[in-house]
Amino acid sequence: MSRIEILPEAVASQIAAGEVIERPASVVKELLENAIDAGATQVSIQIEQAGRRLIELSDDGAGIPPDQLRVAILRHATSKLRTTEDLFHIDTLGFRGEALASIGSVSRMKITSRQPEEAAGGRVVVEGGAVRTVESAGAPAGTVVSVEDLFYNVPARLKFLKRDLTERQQIDALVTRYALAYPHIRFKLFHDGVAALQTSGNGDRREILAAIYGVDIARQMLEISFSDENFKLEGFTSPVGLTRSNRKEITFFVNGRWVQDSSLSAALLKGYHTLLMIGRYPLAVIFIRMDPTEVDVNVHPAKAEVRFRQPEDVFGKVQRAIRRGLLAYSPPAQLVSQGWQTQLPPLNQRFISRQIDPAWKMATETQEAPAIVGPAFEEGTQKEQPALDALPAGDLPLLRLVGQVGSAYLVAEGPDGLYLIDQHAAHERVLFEKWLRQREQSVPAQALLTPQVFQVPPQISGMMTEQLPALEKIGFRVEPFGPNLFRVLAIPAIFSGADPVAAVMVAVEDFEEDETPLQTELEARLAARICKRAAVKAGSVLSTEEQKMLLQGLEACKSPRTCPHGRPTMIHLPIDLLEKQFGRRGSR
Amino acid sequence: MKASVSQQQLAHGLGMVSRAVSPRSTLAVLANILVATDDGRLRLSATNLELGISCWIGAQISEQGAITVPARTFSDLVNTLPNDTVHLELNPATQSLNVRCGMSNTDIKGIDAQEFPPMPTPDIQDGIHLNISDFKEMIQQVAFAASTDEARPVLQGVSMNISEDAAVLAATDGFRISVRRAALSEPVSKPVTAIVPARALTELARIATDGDQVVTMVMPPGRGQVVFHMKDAELISQLIDGNFPDYRAIIPRSFKGTTILTTNAFLKACRQAEIIARESNNVVRLSIQPGGDQPGKVEITAQSEETGSSENFVEATVEGGSLIIAFNVRFLREVLEVIKTPSVVLMTNANNTPAMIQPAGDDTFQHVIMPMHLG
Repeated sequence: MSRIEILPEAVASQIAAGEVIERPASVVKELLENAIDAGATQVSIQIEQAGRRLIELSDDGAGIPPDQLRVAILRHATSKLRTTEDLFHIDTLGFRGEALASIGSVSRMKITSRQPEEAAGGRVVVEGGAVRTVESAGAPAGTVVSVEDLFYNVPARLKFLKRDLTERQQIDALVTRYALAYPHIRFKLFHDGVAALQTSGNGDRREILAAIYGVDIARQMLEISFSDENFKLEGFTSPVGLTRSNRKEITFFVNGRWVQDSSLSAALLKGYHTLLMIGRYPLAVIFIRMDPTEVDVNVHPAKAEVRFRQPEDVFGKVQRAIRRGLLAYSPPAQLVSQGWQTQLPPLNQRFISRQIDPAWKMATETQEAPAIVGPAFEEGTQKEQPALDALPAGDLPLLRLVGQVGSAYLVAEGPDGLYLIDQHAAHERVLFEKWLRQREQSVPAQALLTPQVFQVPPQISGMMTEQLPALEKIGFRVEPFGPNLFRVLAIPAIFSGADPVAAVMVAVEDFEEDETPLQTELEARLAARICKRAAVKAGSVLSTEEQKMLLQGLEACKSPRTCPHGRPTMIHLPIDLLEKQFGRRGSR
Repeated sequence: MKASVSQQQLAHGLGMVSRAVSPRSTLAVLANILVATDDGRLRLSATNLELGISCWIGAQISEQGAITVPARTFSDLVNTLPNDTVHLELNPATQSLNVRCGMSNTDIKGIDAQEFPPMPTPDIQDGIHLNISDFKEMIQQVAFAASTDEARPVLQGVSMNISEDAAVLAATDGFRISVRRAALSEPVSKPVTAIVPARALTELARIATDGDQVVTMVMPPGRGQVVFHMKDAELISQLIDGNFPDYRAIIPRSFKGTTILTTNAFLKACRQAEIIARESNNVVRLSIQPGGDQPGKVEITAQSEETGSSENFVEATVEGGSLIIAFNVRFLREVLEVIKTPSVVLMTNANNTPAMIQPAGDDTFQHVIMPMHLG
């Protein structure tokens, strides 16, 4: 049996480092937090090869005195915490004193720093945890930390890094979020010398939102604020019409620290209760400031999790704040998608007398009604479906159209009973199978008179560039048009008449969902999304001809019983069931 | 109110204003038609707050007054009345309108006319006078190209540009653009630029009878509205705020190929191709073949997995090389339907650049269509 021995210092620190530093983005996070704690007003980050080659962060913060450089890179060395009691009211981002030591033990790290008031600064070079040189050096005020060859001495870790693209996305997502949280700090992020994000540091968060999501989305985002004793919440959240298919764009900062807490986002989603379609999530950036003694940040090595002393209280406040913000903005939020109606308010003031003002507002909302009713209907189908006849796969019998119900469902009669058909899901299926058949040839694309330029968040941009051929295959012609900018030249013919940019966004929205989908699968998924968008919506009244066409189309489908996303297109009520329900047979 | 009108005129007037009624509004009065005496005539008005239509019909008025009545009820009733004089009488106590004609006698419950949104009365002196039949033709040649996508309000409108002695109407949905110019009979004092909802103009073209010689367009300053005033009718619409795409930059300056076809033959071929093509995203292929010594031709083909395939030949005078180019056949059909000249010119450069369709010998109308790429 082997002897039990205390691990050598180098091994121990590599293991410990593994907890804090798992990928290039973690290095960026630690360095960024140090810069912020140092009171920097400018932070510039240079990334090469997604952080494998180089991560260099320079700030204009307080700096480290030359004589303390050697100490700074030791484990549990920090200027942010002195006693155990301090742990319970931490107001800096860092406090463990592990970051620099951890980074230093798995890379070649160089720290150059000068305090603004001093004439000379110092430099320390660390390789794999060992101090190589400490010397005095001239430097600009502030600190420059450059981390080269990350994980060069931990091959196992290196092997588990994802593709460059993925690692870049992680860094982009991190830096954009901190830029939002600290609008007074001027951020610059470069990937291999190309600027990915630049903020002005003028304190205007909306401007940063625009840099990340584009001007359009930034303009739509609703400003939320809420405060009471010891608790302050502010931030932005999207109107109900602006959603994503995943939760990735929901961000929380608690006391300036980015936390990933599923219960906080659950509270936010609750604020949207009944306003969002199933599977749609808002975009949100929420900043919470609260008494440091009410929140424990010393839970997770990367501090991504926090613990609240009174969680229910916090969640309740988040939910209320969101709900209140949403309701306050609700009407304009809906107007956004229907620009024509934004023309109406002036008319409202002049064209009609004042006493009927409120009723007129209701009038606008009812025009919007189908959009809201739609999802509710869909929700209903899903819930009811399991209770009813489970549908066998395979061909449909010939159906006779009876009519349309609630401008959302078709009623048809088959030899074996009654069929209720969800017009949206059914049309989706018809379009999707049509696309499948067409795929063997090529998908016709309708060119645009003038190319339309649009912006995507930095973290999608790389994926987008990579997937342009896949988009082309399904009929989009999109080309890069600058950093994070693209322009669309043509869209699939199936989309003719729709807003081209909206069409592209539908397709690329969940590029980031999966990191490496198979090409064929990706195409099918894109197509399914497009069909979903192009299909008739619940709430549209169909003419008898249209209804018949839809039924015929569905009969011709190979798998007519579900939509491409797997939801049922129809509910079958067999004659037996009807007879039983009416007490004609069996139940007596 | 007490008035007598002819059933025919009343039915016609109701048909005209009904298009502006908003039947599903929660504001009940918007589902009603305003019936009012107005300077010796009977005025009928309806509005959905975006679009308002009024018309005036001759009447014998013995007592002034006004009421609004449900549009559907009133027009259904009037349409079934005999072709005779209709007597309308308001009972102010019950706010109901008594409609008497021949042997029929009906009371319709109404809503106080005070609740009806007031319509602005424009100062017609300031307006721009346009010849009705010319303006109607312009609208028909342009409005169909506007987008129906509510997400892009600007493209749902028709851009109107009136300066000095010419008016230019343009509409686009992002895939095609229709531009029509016309000379004005009398120059305007100050230029006008506005985006008018295509739907409002289409309604205007529908209600403007050629008998009315002149339509006067007025934009009351600062209201974001436009009023089209005719002798017996008036249409008010909200304007669309925004920047319309610059069509001068979109329309190509030169073309390599010019193909002249008979409008009717081309239209017919497109209609036939559409029967097949509508099952396959409306794609048709045009193969333009110069004839050398003989006349050239254009072959129009459509193909659909489900329905089948179709081929059509149209004789043509082709200048330039041969070209195969694909279009959305609906776009072709829609523009050919509004071209009045016997021949039409199709101008092309390549199969991935914009093509233009124009009436032969008339460059006041230009229609640019983007082709489709077939991968």
